[in-house]
Amino acid sequence: MKLRWLFILIALITGIAAGVAYGWIIDPVEFYDLTPDTLRADYRADYVLMVAEAYRAEQDAGLAARRLALFGAQSPSSIAADGLSFARSSGFGDSDIALMQELVTAMQAWSGINP
Amino acid sequence: MRRVPWAILLALFAGLGLGVVYSWMIAPRGAVDTKPTVLRADFKDQYRGAIAASFAATGNLPRAQARLSLIGDPDSIEALNSQAQRMIASGEFTQADQLAALALALENGYASFSVPTPTLESLDNVSVEPSITLPPPPPSEDLPFQFTETPELVETPIVETQAVVDNPTPRPTRTLIPTVGAPFALIAQDTVCDTNFPDGLLQVIVFNSRRRQVAGAKIIIAWENGQEEFFTGLKPEIGNGYADFSMSPNVTYALRLAAGSDIAAGLVAPTCQTPGGEDFLGGVKLTFQQP
Repeated sequence: MKLRWLFILIALITGIAAGVAYGWIIDPVEFYDLTPDTLRADYRADYVLMVAEAYRAEQDAGLAARRLALFGAQSPSSIAADGLSFARSSGFGDSDIALMQELVTAMQAWSGINP
Repeated sequence: MRRVPWAILLALFAGLGLGVVYSWMIAPRGAVDTKPTVLRADFKDQYRGAIAASFAATGNLPRAQARLSLIGDPDSIEALNSQAQRMIASGEFTQADQLAALALALENGYASFSVPTPTLESLDNVSVEPSITLPPPPPSEDLPFQFTETPELVETPIVETQAVVDNPTPRPTRTLIPTVGAPFALIAQDTVCDTNFPDGLLQVIVFNSRRRQVAGAKIIIAWENGQEEFFTGLKPEIGNGYADFSMSPNVTYALRLAAGSDIAAGLVAPTCQTPGGEDFLGGVKLTFQQP
């Protein structure tokens, strides 16, 4: 009798595990209308690269900071630094990394007060 | 004959149900590592704006196309044009220009404007003599654009590029005036069905060969019993190269630029429908550009 209850318990736990795996991995809840801070790291890094490319031509640190503010509460310099860090670890091209480095430097120097 | 283990099967299915309820309703996996397709519409606009700004800086159309595909718009060109209109309405003309330029490049399949990057010549000079700077701005007649194109920015050696950035070329902001040159080409003619615009609005935008809006361009519009002239630049809050005209229903117009251009003939205010199914008079948007 005890063995029967043990099998039932094992079946229940197995079912729960399978259900959770289904709901989290196989067919997870789909979200819409999300904020950019949920983006995957490579998309965030590419966004930082876009801002860096635009900054190279515009030389407007305030505008670049506003664009980076898309990601929320972090400071623009740390957002840019995170992007640069990902780019370095993921084999971005040297020219792209140089652009992002330039943006990081500009964001670190940027005071947040437009002239 | 062996008995079916109903109790065990029941426990298995009950567990499965509990697991699904837990993972879908009680503790769904958080929204992490998402793609730009799931961003809220206003964030998608900002993302699109950054793509357009990046494209305006680099002229790298394949990269811009790849990035736009991440957003998942059914029609990227339409999305860009629509956002450009909204930017114009809210007074953000620079961004509107960038978005419109990217939309145009996507339509044409190439970047049709100059990319403001340093010249190869200046880069070469920097590599030989690191202290040298870019040449000063040219005299006032030539002020509009001293940039020259180089599509090779990606290939530019890093050190040289950074040296140039240390001495950025001043960017003039003078309003352009039309000059004698090649005739303007009608590069786009779009129907605008937007209830936010006045009925029968004919919008004209004039660009020069460098994709800058041209103020003071004389436009001649004619119809069966009359003719009228109007100019770009009278609504600078919308754009220096912008002009508009109110079309009457069921009248066919022909329009051209006095400086010489393609003729936009057969212009009629289209009949559009609101989402509720009501008819209203739409508009037409014409874009001219000097080749």
